Formats: sequence, C-alpha cells, structure tokens
Amino acid sequence: MDESVCQAYEDEIQALEEEIRILTEKYEDIRRETTFFSDEEILKSIKLFQRETRGGTKGHESPSDLKAQLESLGTDLSFFMTFTGFQFTSHSKKIVEKTRNKTVQKHRLSGKCHSLSFQLEFQLLEMQNNEKVSAVVSDLSIIMESGEDSGVSKFVSSTEERGNLLTFFRSLSTYAEWYEHRKHTFLHFKVLYQAFI
Amino acid sequence: GVLACLEMLESRAHREAVEQEEKEKREEKSAFLKTKIRELRLQRDQLRKKLEQLEKEQLGKEGIPLDPPLPSPREVLEWKIGNLRDLLQVFQLTGISGKLSKHGVCFSLHTAFEGSFLDSFHLELLLRPEFQEFRIQRHSIPPFIPLEQLSRKFLPSDLRGFLDSLFQHLNAFVGRRHQLEQFQEQFSEYIQGNPQRNSLCNLLSFRYQIPGKSGNSVFRAQLLYEDPCRSLPTEVSISCS
Repeated sequence: MDESVCQAYEDEIQALEEEIRILTEKYEDIRRETTFFSDEEILKSIKLFQRETRGGTKGHESPSDLKAQLESLGTDLSFFMTFTGFQFTSHSKKIVEKTRNKTVQKHRLSGKCHSLSFQLEFQLLEMQNNEKVSAVVSDLSIIMESGEDSGVSKFVSSTEERGNLLTFFRSLSTYAEWYEHRKHTFLHFKVLYQAFI
Repeated sequence: GVLACLEMLESRAHREAVEQEEKEKREEKSAFLKTKIRELRLQRDQLRKKLEQLEKEQLGKEGIPLDPPLPSPREVLEWKIGNLRDLLQVFQLTGISGKLSKHGVCFSLHTAFEGSFLDSFHLELLLRPEFQEFRIQRHSIPPFIPLEQLSRKFLPSDLRGFLDSLFQHLNAFVGRRHQLEQFQEQFSEYIQGNPQRNSLCNLLSFRYQIPGKSGNSVFRAQLLYEDPCRSLPTEVSISCS
C-alpha cells in the first residue's frame, strides 16, 4: 500500500543520512591527518586573521582569543618538555577503526629524552564506557639509538612484548637522567684530570 | 425516499472528497520524500567523489587536487591549536602531564599496567616564591599514599624527584589492584569467597581450590608486597585447611 512505500522512502532517507554522516567524518579525519602548516604559515595566519576580523567576529572566537590559546598551549608544552626532558620531534596518528564508542589509531612518535633518541609505533585503542575512557596499547615497536647496549635492547624487547609503553617512558626518563649525570661527571673528572697533567 | 437518496449522495460525496484529500496528501508526501532522497543521493555521491579524490592524493600524490580548498587563517590557527593539544596529550602516555595555572602547575599522573592505561590522579601545586616553596593546593591522591612524607622529603628543591616517587607509589598501587581484579575475573572458579585486601592493596589473602585436582582441600594464600613501589609480592605463604 502507499503506507509501506512511504516507510521504505523514510528508511532510505535514514540510511542515506547515516552514510553522509560517516563519509563527512571520514573526510574530515583524513584532512586532519594530512594537513600540515609550518610556523611561518601560522604567523602569517595570525596577522591575516587579526586584519580580517577587525570588524567583529560574529560570535566566533576573536583573534586575540585564538592567539591567547596558542600562546598558553605553547607555554605549557615548552614547560613540560623542559621539565620532563621529553622532546617530541614528530607525531602522526591515523585512524584505523572508528565506531560510536571505540577508536583505534595508529601512532608514530619520535623524539628524544635528554640526549637519547627514540622512534615508536603503536596502536592505541580508546573506548568510551559511560564516563570512563580507557586506553590500551598494542603492537608496540620501539627503535632506540643506543641499541648497541645489550641491556637496552633486552629492555626494549620485553617492553614491546607487553605493550608496556608507560614503563618504557618512565624507565627511559630515569636512564636518560642518569646517563646525562654520568656524562657530566665524566666530563667533570676529565677536566679535573687534564688540569693536573 | 428522496431525502434518503440525497443523504446517501451527500455522504458519498463527502467520503470521496475526504479520500481525494488523503490521496493528494499522500502523493504530496511521496513527492516530497522522493525529492529529498534525490538530494541526499546527490550529496552522498559528491562526498564519495571528494573522499575518493582525497584518498588518491594520500596514496600517490596524484597530481594537483581538483578543488584544493584554501584554508582560511582561522582554520590554520585552529589546526595549530589542535596540533599543540595533541602533543600535550602525548605527554599523558608518558605518565606525567598537566598544564600551567595562574600561580603554579597542575600535574596529572597517569598510571598503567602493561598495555592498559588505568587511573589518573591530579595534583595542583602553588608556587610561592616568597617562601621558596611549593604548596599542594588540591589533589586527588588517595590517603593511603604517603603524600605528606614525600613532599617533606623532596620539596621544594627536587620537584622531579617528588613527582617520580609519587608516581611510583601510585602506579604500583594501581597495578596491584588491577592484577587482583583481573585475577578475580579470570580465576573465579578457583576462588572461594571474596579475596581480602587492605586499602593499599599490598596485603592480600584469599582461599582457593583447584577444580578437579585438589578434591575437597581448600588452600589459603597470603601475599605481602613489602615495597609499596613495586607491583610484585615479596612474600607469599600458602596453607592448607
């Protein structure tokens, strides 16, 4: 009857709207993953933006708001990098799977802790359960520069096996500080020694 | 007679008018839905094309994109803000993250056991340069963690040492608790009754039997974790009742 035809139409409309929502999300995700702007472009944009919105911003955030956000985030990042010794030189993430409550992303992260460089790849599964967000690491792969040290390579492989990303970072932090300290001590004695020759 | 006929004709006309109205309404609705479907299909196909093009670009840099959307300065700035936020989030994976506040720092400590990130704890420190001290303003550290002792031992001169040590206590506690929860889940058939633990989770006792092997015997196990910074026990005793 006509009723069922209308119902079929409405079902199709719902399906299309859902498909459009998924496609749009996927498009924006990929755009975000592949976009990159250099610091110069950022500075240029700040100036342009300030000039553009001199007449008002129609309810959006003003350029001084955005600029303030940028500055505060930059200061926070700079503080934590200095304080913890972790400097991240590059970070990329790619969505592997995404459903309503669950997101799986593949991360590539490289940086150094004091003078020790590392390169990581891992998958992070994030799930939203009511208010709680849980995160689980898998497929962890670690490359460290000072891989010649057999102690380090044993540590790295046992960490990889268990997906123990946190232990890696914490131990690296302790080791790197000790390493720095040892370097300084060595240099200190070297200088002293040379003074006596 | 005639009146009855007229009544019948009237009611028939009325019925037909109502039916006609309903038919027109249905046709209107049907036409409206069909148009909507056409529009949505068009939108969906355009999106599919856009997405295909974007994916092609991603894979092989296939020439110049047909429709490179020029980002507005606002978009560029919003991108950078998102980028910096992401990087700050990466610090969460290292265990210690946070942000600067007006008069000090808010630290967040993120615990994990093997690959699973577990509880996060927060600590707000006020910087008081006049007194050369860090004062703990607010925190969500449970009372059985020796926060006072640690702050007296390390602050104000060694903030890193304070946080590292506090982190070790918290991480080990959460690790022990998590192991107990997993144990209860995975070995529910073996365990008799409820395992007993103290709040710091460094003293555990439970009764268990091995189905099919221990017969009627029930064993009692007691685990002591003497080092609060470690998630492995230092002493285990088992007795048979």
